[in-house]
Amino acid sequence: MKLNWFIRKGIIYRPASVVGWVIFTIAVVLAVYMFIDIDGRSHSVSDTMINFVFDLLLIGLIYTIIAYFTEAKQKAD
Amino acid sequence: MKDKDEFLKTMENLQVPEINPTEHPKMVKMAIMNAERSAALGVWLVVVPCYFLLCVFMYYFSHIRVGSSWFVAMFTLMSSLDKTPYIDFLGPVIMVVLPIICIIINSLAIIHVNIQKAGQTSKVREFSVTIKIKIWNILLILLSLAIVGIFIGYVMTENISVR
Repeated sequence: MKLNWFIRKGIIYRPASVVGWVIFTIAVVLAVYMFIDIDGRSHSVSDTMINFVFDLLLIGLIYTIIAYFTEAKQKAD
Repeated sequence: MKDKDEFLKTMENLQVPEINPTEHPKMVKMAIMNAERSAALGVWLVVVPCYFLLCVFMYYFSHIRVGSSWFVAMFTLMSSLDKTPYIDFLGPVIMVVLPIICIIINSLAIIHVNIQKAGQTSKVREFSVTIKIKIWNILLILLSLAIVGIFIGYVMTENISVR
């Protein structure tokens, strides 16, 4: 099944369909929720940033894996 | 009649291309995966363990004391990760599984393997490996190997005990 949900620009995948935008929105909302959650439990700015960046990278990784398998096919090397 | 003679003369003077049947035939060396796509995913696969190692690095230099080492800092962070429920499996996955996936997809993008006979009459078969010089893919492979090596070094240091 051919899915064209994302288009790759460098190492960033951009949504190219409604489903792609839905996944992108879910990722952004999850990142914001995690930031608020971590910020509420942490004791300093650096504590917040260190834990949040780790979660943000994990969200970016999962988003990229989904986009990798559902991107629009481009010409081969 | 004159045209016919001219035509025959032209045909006789035609330069025929030389063909060397013993010359190695040119072939298209297609890789299994797209190099740019593999590099794009590989960056994301490697950036998480790199961030983890950066945290270990910062922890090591901020808590530096006599007798402490890089592996002590890594051990402290790993053990704190192990004690946290739901994410206790994340350490090995981040440090080993993600870099190994990165190595596999980037290797498949730049390596071409071919098995063929040495000559038309020869029964000996040749196994040839071709590596494309794609700098980003090669860098990601080396970085992933370094991360896996660091983790293996950490595991060996943690488990080796002198009796």
